[in-house]
Amino acid sequence: MKKLLLLSAVTGLTCMLQAPASFALTGGISAEENAKLRAEYPMPSAEMLGDNCSACHGTNGAEFNEAMPPLAGMDKNNFIKLMKEYRENKFPSIVMHDVAHVFSDEEIEAMGDFFAKQKPEQWTRPDWNKSIKQHAEEHSHE
Amino acid sequence: MNKITRRDLIKLFGTTALSTGLMGASSLAFASKSAHIVIVGGGVGGAASAKYMRLLNPDVRITIVEPEPKYIFCPGSNEVVADFDTLESLTVDFNTLKSRYAVNIIQDRATEIDYAAKKLKLAKGDVLSYDKLIVSPGPDFKYDAVEGFSKQLAEGNFPAAWHAGPQTLVLRDQINALPQGGTVLITSPVDPYRCPPAPYERASFIANKLKTVNPTAKVIILDSKDDFIFHDVYLDYWEKMHGLGTPDARIEWISKKSGGHVTKLDTKNRTLTTANGQVHKGDVINIIPPEMAGSFVRMNGLSEGDWAPFNSKDFSTKRDKDVYIIGDSAAADPMPKTGYIASNQAKVVTKAIHAELTGKDIGTPFITNNCVALAADDWGMTVAETFRYAGNNKPFEESYIMSDPTKNPFYRHIRAEVAKNWQRTFRKDIYS
Ligand SMILES: Cc1cc2nc3c(=O)[nH]c(=O)nc-3n(C[C@H](O)[C@H](O)[C@H](O)COP(=O)(O)OP(=O)(O)OC[C@H]3O[C@@H](n4cnc5c(N)ncnc54)[C@H](O)[C@@H]3O)c2cc1C
Repeated sequence: MKKLLLLSAVTGLTCMLQAPASFALTGGISAEENAKLRAEYPMPSAEMLGDNCSACHGTNGAEFNEAMPPLAGMDKNNFIKLMKEYRENKFPSIVMHDVAHVFSDEEIEAMGDFFAKQKPEQWTRPDWNKSIKQHAEEHSHE
Repeated sequence: MNKITRRDLIKLFGTTALSTGLMGASSLAFASKSAHIVIVGGGVGGAASAKYMRLLNPDVRITIVEPEPKYIFCPGSNEVVADFDTLESLTVDFNTLKSRYAVNIIQDRATEIDYAAKKLKLAKGDVLSYDKLIVSPGPDFKYDAVEGFSKQLAEGNFPAAWHAGPQTLVLRDQINALPQGGTVLITSPVDPYRCPPAPYERASFIANKLKTVNPTAKVIILDSKDDFIFHDVYLDYWEKMHGLGTPDARIEWISKKSGGHVTKLDTKNRTLTTANGQVHKGDVINIIPPEMAGSFVRMNGLSEGDWAPFNSKDFSTKRDKDVYIIGDSAAADPMPKTGYIASNQAKVVTKAIHAELTGKDIGTPFITNNCVALAADDWGMTVAETFRYAGNNKPFEESYIMSDPTKNPFYRHIRAEVAKNWQRTFRKDIYS
C-alpha cells in the first residue's frame, strides 16, 4: 500500500501534491545558455540520454520492483507527453520536474523512442544475450 | 540465470586463457584478436564500465583488475554507522559480472602503465596488454592534512570510514559504546570530496540515534568550509529535531569562519585543535580527511595537482588517448564526486570506445547526477543536476534544481523513500 501510494506520488498520478517550483533552489547555466549549447553540438544519442535514466529506473529502464516506475516498453507518446508536462511543471511531481526541465523536444522524443523499444520485462531477462547481440547489430547499421 | 556458453567464452578470451582457468587466471595470453578493454578498479566506475561495455559490444574482451574479492557500496554506509543497516546488504561480489557479462576478474592491484607498449603491470607480477585502459580507482586520503593523524590511526581507533568497510564497523561500535553525555567530533573536509552531503547525513543519523539511547550526548561538526550542499535543509532539520542554536543543542556545526577547520589531532588526550587554536575533546573522533586522486593515478603521471584532467568529449586522459579516467579521481569539476556521476561517466567512455572500435563518430556526451540524501528515515532531499558538453577542452556546464527546506512533510517523506529505493536500483544497475 505504502509502495503503491508512493509510486503514484512519484509518477505524479495523484494530484494531492502541488508542483514544487516555488520551493526549489536553482543554479548553474540558464535555460537560454542550455539551448545555446544544445544548438552548438549534435544532439546526444538516444542511448546516451536514455542510459542516464538507468541509475534510478534500472538498466534500459527495466526496473519493475522499486518505487521509481519502469520506463521500458512505455508508450512513446505517453512518455513524450508526460516528460513535457514535467518540464513545464504542469504535472505535479516531486523529482521529475527538476530532472526534465533541461531537455529539448527532440531529446524527449529520442528518449521516448529509446524506451518504447525496450522489452517491458525486469532486467536481467533470460534472453539478454540475444537481445544485446541484436542491439549491437542494429547499431552497426546506423 | 543465463550464462554465456563455453563457445562464447572461447570466442571472447581464446582457448589458452580458458584452458588455464579463465576467471582469475594467471595466464593472460589472450589468443583472440578482438580488442582488450582493461579496467583498473571494480568499484562503481569500473563495474559500470565493464557491464555497459558488454551491453554495447558482445565481442570485446573485458578485464577488471581489483584487489578486493568483493565491493562494498558507500551509499548506505552512513546507515551502518548509525546501526540501522548492515554492511552485508551493501556488499556485492563479481560473480554476475563474470558469468553474465563474461568479464574476466583479476584479483590484484594495478601498479604501472607502460604507455608505449600499452601494457599494465600488476602487483603480483602479471602484465596485461590493453587496447583501451579505463582507470577508476577511487580517491586517496590526505591523512597528513591533520597533524598527528595517519592511515594507521584511521585503520585503528580513529576511523575515517569514508570507504565502506572495517572502519565503518569500528565507528558504529564506538558510537554504540559512547558514554552517557559523551561527545562525537566529525570533521568535514575542503571540497572536492566524495559525496558532498554525506558528512552532514552521517552527523544527522548519529544525532538521531543518540536522541533515543543517549539524549545528553552531542555531535559537533568541525568544518573546513563555510557552506555545503543542502545546508538550509540540514540546518532546518537540526533546529527542529536537535535544538540547533540552543544551549542544549544535540548537534553543532562550526563553519570554517567560526574556527571549524581542524589542524591537529592529539590521540592521548583525544582532542582536535582548530586553526584558531580552539581545542575540542571527543569521546569519538571521526576525521574525514581531504582527498586526492588514487595513488595509481598519481604514480602514473595521470594527475595534475590533485586530480586527473581529461578530454571532455570521451574522458580520455590528457596523458594518453587510449587511457581513460572516470570516477572520484577525475578532475571533473563542476561534477561532484558521486557514484551516480561515476556510473554515467562509464556510460560515456564505453560508448566512445565502442564507436571508435566500430569506426563511428563518438557523439556528444551528456551526464546527469540525480542524487538523494537523508537527514532521517522519513526526511529526504534531492538534487537534479545536468552537465552539458561545452567543448573538448572545457569543463561541462552545469544546471541544477535542489530541495529547499519544505514545510510539506509529504515531500520530504517521499524524497526519503526515493532515496532508499534508489540505493537498491543503483546497486542492481551496476552489478546485475
Ligand atoms: C558515506 C558515503 C556515502 C555515499 N553516498 C552516495 C550516494 O548516496 N550516491 C552516490 O552517487 N554516491 C555516494 N557516495 C560516493 C560514491 O561512493 C563514490 O563517488 C563512488 O564510489 C566513486 O566510484 P569510483 O569508481 O571512483 O571509486 P570506488 O567505487 O571507490 O571504486 C574504486 C575501486 O578501485 C579499487 N582500486 C584502488 N586502487 C586500485 C589499483 N591500484 N588497482 C586496482 N584496483 C584498485 C578499489 O579497491 C575500489 O574497489 C558516497 C560515499 C560515501 C563515503
